[in-house]
Amino acid sequence: MPPSQPALVSLSPAELSYLRSTLAQRPPIRLDATKGPLDFRSMRAEHDVLPGTNGSARIALEDGTEALVGVKAAVEPSPLSAALWAGHEKLTVAAGVDTHRGADNLHSSTGRGRDAWVEMSVEIPGFRDDDALPVFLAAMLRETLLATGALTDRLHINRRFHWKLCIDILLLSPPLSYPLALLSMTTHLALLTTRLPALKSENDEDPMFDDDWDAAVALYPRSSAAVDGPPHTDKPPVIVLAMVVGENIIFDPCKEELAVADGVLAIACASAPSPSDGARLVGFRTVDPPSHLTPPGVPNAMNTATGGVAPASSADALTQRELLANSGVWRPPRGGIKRALLANMCDLATAKGGVAEELLSALQSIEVG
Amino acid sequence: MNTDRRRINGPSGGTSAPLFVQAVKDVGYLQSLRPERTRGPNELRTICKLLQTSIVPSASGSAYLEIPMSRSTTTPTTLIKPSSALKLVCSIQGPKPLPRSVPYSPSLVLTTTVKFAPFASRTRRGYIRDAVERDLGVHLETALRGVIIGERWPKSGVEVVVTVLEGDEDGWWGDDELGAKGGGWGVLNVLAGCITVSSAAIADAGIDCVDIVSGGVAAIIRNPGSKKGNEVVRVLDPCFADHKDIVAACAVGYLAGRDEITEAWTKGNVGARGNELMEGATHAAVGSLSVLKEALLEAVEAKYQGQATVGKLSAKKTETTEDVDMSG
Repeated sequence: MPPSQPALVSLSPAELSYLRSTLAQRPPIRLDATKGPLDFRSMRAEHDVLPGTNGSARIALEDGTEALVGVKAAVEPSPLSAALWAGHEKLTVAAGVDTHRGADNLHSSTGRGRDAWVEMSVEIPGFRDDDALPVFLAAMLRETLLATGALTDRLHINRRFHWKLCIDILLLSPPLSYPLALLSMTTHLALLTTRLPALKSENDEDPMFDDDWDAAVALYPRSSAAVDGPPHTDKPPVIVLAMVVGENIIFDPCKEELAVADGVLAIACASAPSPSDGARLVGFRTVDPPSHLTPPGVPNAMNTATGGVAPASSADALTQRELLANSGVWRPPRGGIKRALLANMCDLATAKGGVAEELLSALQSIEVG
Repeated sequence: MNTDRRRINGPSGGTSAPLFVQAVKDVGYLQSLRPERTRGPNELRTICKLLQTSIVPSASGSAYLEIPMSRSTTTPTTLIKPSSALKLVCSIQGPKPLPRSVPYSPSLVLTTTVKFAPFASRTRRGYIRDAVERDLGVHLETALRGVIIGERWPKSGVEVVVTVLEGDEDGWWGDDELGAKGGGWGVLNVLAGCITVSSAAIADAGIDCVDIVSGGVAAIIRNPGSKKGNEVVRVLDPCFADHKDIVAACAVGYLAGRDEITEAWTKGNVGARGNELMEGATHAAVGSLSVLKEALLEAVEAKYQGQATVGKLSAKKTETTEDVDMSG
């Protein structure tokens, strides 16, 4: 039974202790000293990189991690739902009385999408597709995308057919830092640029599409172009990663910073219904920080090589270790995130002018030009 | 596509609840079967007496948790169960030394496995773990990793195996096309149960922890009784079959003694109510913690009472009785 995740960083206990104390300062000094706690790493991004897809994007971070996302859509017949069956049965049983009511319900604009219409796969080099990391990443990304149900509603063509959206995420480099935020940003950009062929047929006919690619409609229509969707601009959610060290909250940590985190939270945000609200929270999950797996340090007093005395028994060793809590000798963090800090993290991300809003507008501007 | 080729499997599509003529003829009949929450919004399901430790003799620690079906006030008119209960068994192997082939690990290597039994839900589950089960395993690992003091067991591993005998549902069976794969709301209840039951099993196995972690769930639902129909209320420990329109839900793993959260998982459109949701979930977690503490206390009492009576007897007599037990 191998360890579930290989140790991502190889830092000595002394280095870890040093790193932690700099990050726990107020204000924290990050590994890249030019950055504040809320600053993101710089990135290069481009969209429409894959000609064979409906939408695609590629983002490379400054530390060399790079992700590629392709979105493909296919028309798929919808299974006849039980409600529809009931409607048909009613037609025969009750001789055509009141057959339109069920149909009207099905034509309402919301709640007709199914979660199964969006498929997501994450591929990370060095990981099998059933390893914990890709499974977790795919589940988190998919869940936030489906949280509001707005996306699946837009995939509805008519009662008999729907679009099936396949989102394929490929991490091109080894996962140096925790790749969730990067994958989410790339997916966001790919979905923003995704276009579906314009529908020409009406109602429940077999769908026919306009073969002119210029007439294609965007999956996430821009502000005024929304035809029958909700009036505000809806954008796919984006996930930001935040970590806690002591009392400090640091966004977009790099891998060395993650190695000393007390706790890590992935916060998914979408654009707010009105532009004055900052961003809207669509979910959060705690992430197991790699700091739990770091080796503990041995203090000089317990090390015979540095003139100390080795503890007499293992019980003695345990008590001596517990007394080291605040001595500066590295010890893997214990426990979770304080409740108040967790609430603070979400507020910082979603506030007006906060991290998420800034990121969303930055990604939007890439797409515009 | 990894399918199970070694066994003769049932139909892959599963079976669906039978549709009777009455449900088709009478429009309101099917809806009249819909269960409703009879508890108050802040009232939890009772799990008293349904949490037991040390039930698997061969494991170093084990526990069983059952959260019973919420009782309906009306007498049932159909054989189909209105909602399901939650039944979990957790067994722990270890801490035990890692095999030689494994690279050195400075702390305890924790492996968590959550598996639904094939009969755990209305649609059958396969023997091979699917994505939902793996995801649950990762969540459980996150919840437990912060609690266990791993540095005390270098070069060793522990396996936490949770088997879901009966899983909570994502919604009412009468609503068509529910998440047939079971990746919906019900997994939050399953996760909270997994956290509580594995916490009891870890205490039973005697693994050092910083605190007892317990799981809780809260949800925000649209209240059908309100005038406009879009007023939302927060309920603790929701049974998702009781509610028609669920806006968001959250499961947490909560350390009450330290006021810390090791695991938080939200689903749905949380919006501005994230803090309220999390607070509700922690309240629910505190509720299950009280039962957890009680059960652990009982287990310890039973253990030491046994030792005390053994101590009273003469050493010779105990040996003979033990021999009789072994041979019998």
